Amino acid sequence: MRNASPLPPSCAAWANDFDEWRAQARRLLHAGVPPASVTWHDGNDGHDDLFSSLELPPTLPGSTPAAIRIGRDQLTLLGNAARYRADGHDQPRWPLLYRVLWRWARGDAAAMHPADRDGRVLHQRWHAVKREAHHMHAFLRFHRRDEARGERYVAWFEPAHDVLDLAAEHFADRMGGSRWIIATPHGGVGWDGSALDYRAPCPAAWTEEARTAAERANADEEHDLWRTYFVSTFNPARLNHRVMTQHMPQRFWRHLSEGDLIPELEARARHGGQRLAQESSVGRRKGKALPDARTTLSQPSPDDEG
Amino acid sequence: MELIDKLSILADAAKYDASCASSGAPKRSSRGKTGLGSSNGMGICHSFTPDGRCVSLLKVLLTNFCLFDCQYCVNRRSSNVPRARFTPEEVVRLTLSFYRRNTISGLFLSSGIIRSSDYTMEQLIQVARLLRETHQFRGYIHLKAIPEADPRLLEEAGRYADRLSANIELPTLTGLKTLAPEKELDTIHSAMSHMRQRIDAANDDAERDAKRLPRSANPKRMAPRYAPGGQSTQMIVGADATDDRTILQSAQHLYRDFRLKRVYYSAFSPIPERPAGLPQAAPPLLREHRLYQADFLIRGYGFRAEELLNAPGNLDLEIDPKLAWALAHRDDFPVDLNRAEPAMIARVPGIGLRSVQRLVDLRRLRRIRYQDLVALRCRLETLRPFVVTQDYRPTDAQRDSSRLRQSLTQPQPAQMALW
Ligand code: SF4
Repeated sequence: MRNASPLPPSCAAWANDFDEWRAQARRLLHAGVPPASVTWHDGNDGHDDLFSSLELPPTLPGSTPAAIRIGRDQLTLLGNAARYRADGHDQPRWPLLYRVLWRWARGDAAAMHPADRDGRVLHQRWHAVKREAHHMHAFLRFHRRDEARGERYVAWFEPAHDVLDLAAEHFADRMGGSRWIIATPHGGVGWDGSALDYRAPCPAAWTEEARTAAERANADEEHDLWRTYFVSTFNPARLNHRVMTQHMPQRFWRHLSEGDLIPELEARARHGGQRLAQESSVGRRKGKALPDARTTLSQPSPDDEG
Repeated sequence: MELIDKLSILADAAKYDASCASSGAPKRSSRGKTGLGSSNGMGICHSFTPDGRCVSLLKVLLTNFCLFDCQYCVNRRSSNVPRARFTPEEVVRLTLSFYRRNTISGLFLSSGIIRSSDYTMEQLIQVARLLRETHQFRGYIHLKAIPEADPRLLEEAGRYADRLSANIELPTLTGLKTLAPEKELDTIHSAMSHMRQRIDAANDDAERDAKRLPRSANPKRMAPRYAPGGQSTQMIVGADATDDRTILQSAQHLYRDFRLKRVYYSAFSPIPERPAGLPQAAPPLLREHRLYQADFLIRGYGFRAEELLNAPGNLDLEIDPKLAWALAHRDDFPVDLNRAEPAMIARVPGIGLRSVQRLVDLRRLRRIRYQDLVALRCRLETLRPFVVTQDYRPTDAQRDSSRLRQSLTQPQPAQMALW
């Protein structure tokens, strides 16, 4: 058994992103280096490149590098779990991924199953990443800028995980020929109508422009129409704070032009508005009952008065 | 009247339609093209109002003038509400503006009946046509199908819309007769049947094209799609005395006979100038919630309405319908997760469809242990009496159902009386 051979001397590996990790992991696996013998360094942690070269120990006698086969689903799982930004008490991503890959390569197929102790973490991370990409598709807001070259849209967003590229693809499909930029604390991306332009770090001018737009809800006057819509489509008789915050966590409200309306609408609903589904300002307008057309056929039809 | 005032009135008038889904559309992209918009089958909720409901589409009425006098409706002709009417261009302008700012994924357009059903339907189609043809809009469009309109118009609507819906609102003949005298259940059903035939035919064509034509085929030669997101409908809950069993049987029938994608349930919300005979009570939200759960069990888990409610009446408000069914069928439990058919595992309360799939995958690799249910985040307190794993058997399997029920009933926040 392989385990019977003496442990190789420990080695250090460094990766900045998933592709780099994959290249390193492949070599380590071929060299038969077990997870416990690798110290991984993550570009995200702000280390300098002291460890930028991978020092492989000499191949162990008796260990035959076998071809590693990994399906597309497994690769997707690993790649997307790697987008998760681990914080303080989470385990760092590269050692986790390598341990799973190591187990998988040795025939332990359960390593990537959601009920496994490692697989479970991967699936939870992938789930969190998917959710955050979805948040970005949903809650990002563009603000219009009119320029000599025509209109352009800018957005500021603070994603909790590395999903900027997923969002960029989504918005390139969605916005067609319109030009836009998205600025985030970890980088930015622009679209000129035909190609994506990634920048890391985010250019200061982009950050400045996007943050300013996001912080002033009325910087783009069309957001007034949106706010009106938001108020009217709300049904005060169904007030449900818990379900709303569950789906739209409070951290997003700050950069939504309707965000500041939420507490106000809730307060109004609690103080009487809940009696009716109708928005109170609509109720205060002058109403109009219509004649029964069947008895007043000669009357002008009601829509002519709209 | 200013556009902003019209919006305020016509969004308020449209909120009684529960649907705001933007899912089920085919993949479309505007990358490198003129025009705007995409869809990928997945819906997006761009915001949530404080009622916890998803805002995915611009949901407005073209006008809330209406010739009809449906008693449950805020826009009925006898109701003294402010009235307004958008021009088709105004709706287009709002849709595109909101869409560019990423506050919506499309439009859900409905309308009061003005002049005639045909005229109203033509107006709705006109908006969709402007969006699709003049502005090359590839986002989501849901149009209300006016059942009384000429079938030719429903034909046309389906070529622009991702989804069409004709609302049943009240599932019984008597309900319609008393509360919506101008509507006919037969007319609604025949509109649904017409749409079903067109949707089925378009799906068959699309399947054939997908098999026969190479990917590079000229899209113009492909079969024109017809409402690829299918059709849906809505039933009001609590406006009249109809019970849950009738509602669910009606839904089951709609799914089977017209292959509806979704049936929505809308707890009746109090409206201004309530006509006599309609409740002035808070909307029955918990009841609505139980109906959605039961509906999901019918669509996704293979339950029949009659299994969930074997006699006339309403669903249990205290416990969810799956748990209620399990408690009434103790002989079928506990279920051995290492042996049972997937369909039976799906009937265990506390285990959802995704976990069923994962358990089935896992037991191909090794035996299932109790710890796996913890890792899969199943609802342990609920499922405990109903499962057997390699290392676990329920101890309270012998306890009688009413005591079990008591121990499983968490104190529910009662439906609050609001005033
Ligand atoms: S037809 Fe009936 S439900 Fe529709 S808007 Fe008119 S009154 Fe309301």
